[in-house]
Amino acid sequence: MPLHLALDGEKHSIEILRRKPHLVLNVDGRIYEIPEWSAEPIGEMVLDGNTVAVARAIEDAGRETCFVRIDGRTHEVVLIDPREEFAGHDAARDEIHAPMPGAIVSIHKSAGEQVTRGETVITIESMKLQTALAAPRDGRLRDVLKKPGETFDKDELLARLEPADEA
Amino acid sequence: MSGSEKPKPLFGKVLVANRGEIAVRVMRTLRAMNIASVAIYHRVERNAVHARFADEAHEIRGETPVAAHLDADAIIAIARSCGADAIHPGYGFLSENAAFARKVAAAGLSFIGPDADTIELMGDKISARNFAAAHGVPVAPSVQAQDDIDAFITSASAIGFPLLIKAAAGGGGKGMSAVRDASELRERARIAAGEAQRYFGDGRIYAEVYVERPRHIEVQVLGDGKGGAIHLLERECSIQRRFQKIIEEAPSAPLPEATRGAICEAAVRLAAAARYKNAGTVEFILGADGRFFFLEMNTRLQVEHPVTEMICGIDLVRTQIEIAAGLGLPLSQSEARANGHAIECRLCAEDPDSGFLPATGSIRLLRAPAGEHVRFENALEEGQRVTADFDPMLAKLVVWGKDRGEATGRMIAALRQLTILGLRTNIDYLVRVLETPAFRDGALHTGFVAEHADALAPAPVEARLRDRILIAAALGQRTFRDAITLVEEPYASMAGWRN
Repeated sequence: MPLHLALDGEKHSIEILRRKPHLVLNVDGRIYEIPEWSAEPIGEMVLDGNTVAVARAIEDAGRETCFVRIDGRTHEVVLIDPREEFAGHDAARDEIHAPMPGAIVSIHKSAGEQVTRGETVITIESMKLQTALAAPRDGRLRDVLKKPGETFDKDELLARLEPADEA
Repeated sequence: MSGSEKPKPLFGKVLVANRGEIAVRVMRTLRAMNIASVAIYHRVERNAVHARFADEAHEIRGETPVAAHLDADAIIAIARSCGADAIHPGYGFLSENAAFARKVAAAGLSFIGPDADTIELMGDKISARNFAAAHGVPVAPSVQAQDDIDAFITSASAIGFPLLIKAAAGGGGKGMSAVRDASELRERARIAAGEAQRYFGDGRIYAEVYVERPRHIEVQVLGDGKGGAIHLLERECSIQRRFQKIIEEAPSAPLPEATRGAICEAAVRLAAAARYKNAGTVEFILGADGRFFFLEMNTRLQVEHPVTEMICGIDLVRTQIEIAAGLGLPLSQSEARANGHAIECRLCAEDPDSGFLPATGSIRLLRAPAGEHVRFENALEEGQRVTADFDPMLAKLVVWGKDRGEATGRMIAALRQLTILGLRTNIDYLVRVLETPAFRDGALHTGFVAEHADALAPAPVEARLRDRILIAAALGQRTFRDAITLVEEPYASMAGWRN
């Protein structure tokens, strides 16, 4: 299962292709051989025959963010929680909750409208990254509790479906 | 001097009424002078570097951490109870509070700074301006419009063009207008007065000299309190954002010798006339036409004092302590000589790409730059939380070079070497400022950052670098690493990936 990351608002995925004899990663379909790398906060990795010096640190600022310093410049990489891939798919399956703190960007469905499973109901933004929150099942949207521009905390209830037996 | 006997210290114990890098910087000099140091801290900074660095530390209370650091009576009470004989205020907080200086003196302690009366005189914009004008220090000419519009046109024209027309009751640019020549003055004055009446219910306007592309030049002065004063050359602080300095240098970027001399001489004249005691800074605005005007006098140690120290080879805090102890000025004007060039960068927790909004977070990784002629003025450590409780300035980086070009190059190298990770900072932005051709050329003015906004935006990340960043981030993630090293083939579960 690939690791999902975001840099400058763009989503990327990294997958381990091989571990032995050395590490091979697939970055958005581009293959990299990494014969040497370090687990230390400050270290080097060998990538395509080039030695790259890296400093990095992870800070949980609402979303986990990796600050990566390469060649005297710092970049922020947001680590996307795999649970976000199922954002909105609550156990209750009637409610859409915020997977992380952020703000509403747009609302795609209005109360009373029919939705199908996986269809985007709300787009949210958190740490400069937009995420689509989908309907957890087929049904009718009961209400959306926030307006565009409004902010919310992690796990806050954002939208509800009509109970399943009425659908 | 007999071999083993140390000279008696000037003070036994000094309380430093400040925090962060400046508290540590003052304490370092106290230690070198064999003087015990006392720190104060609010509970949110209980384990702060400055509190641990001091010989002793005492808690101050307050509704907010800043309020605690502004509690004059509590701080003086601590100084008395712990047996301190002087207080160094640093910059900010109580450093320019005349009432505090007066209370310190009344408590029988030495205030390491000027007299309360001087702080009061210079702390009021109008009294400071009038005092400067009365002693021949240029102030920006201005003239208020009276009922007789013809008289206003005549006296305003006498200031010279361009002029700025402003509403007396105004603000926010309303009723404000730049006038480039005499022919349009009457009409602009009429419009401005109308706007002023409409917006502020007060039609009074005034005209003042309009300084285009102004440079911020300030002069470090030392006074003995008896009318003796010298200067330690000027500093240039034209690189500002949100009206606050971010890059300072000494001496200034290229400046005609005659102008430099006139500015420094005016600063000394002001300090001498005020019978200024201790270290102070006289700030001026300098126009592209070479005219300069008094802005204000800062009656304390400046944030940017290290650039002067580096070119003059002097410890300004030591000098402050010596003057406060009654030793007088440590050097004469002819002994005050500059060598080379020094630059300071203020490292701030902020997001330069989003309007310089203050940033918060934690310092997760900290590596100071190494090398000769590099000073990293800080009170930082890994694990430290950076909150909105205090000013966003994290630390200062100061370098020296034999000339401006060498200093700039050394600063860029030091900034690139410096690593502060875990929150947004302006470090990379500072590099971009220093790398602009206009900075190299010394074409500085206080609107520099806005003028070069496009050039100062971060370059887009090219594809090869992007993938390196992503791979580095992935390998920084413990669960991802574990999936590589620990788990048996063929596939590791990525569930519960947080480290």
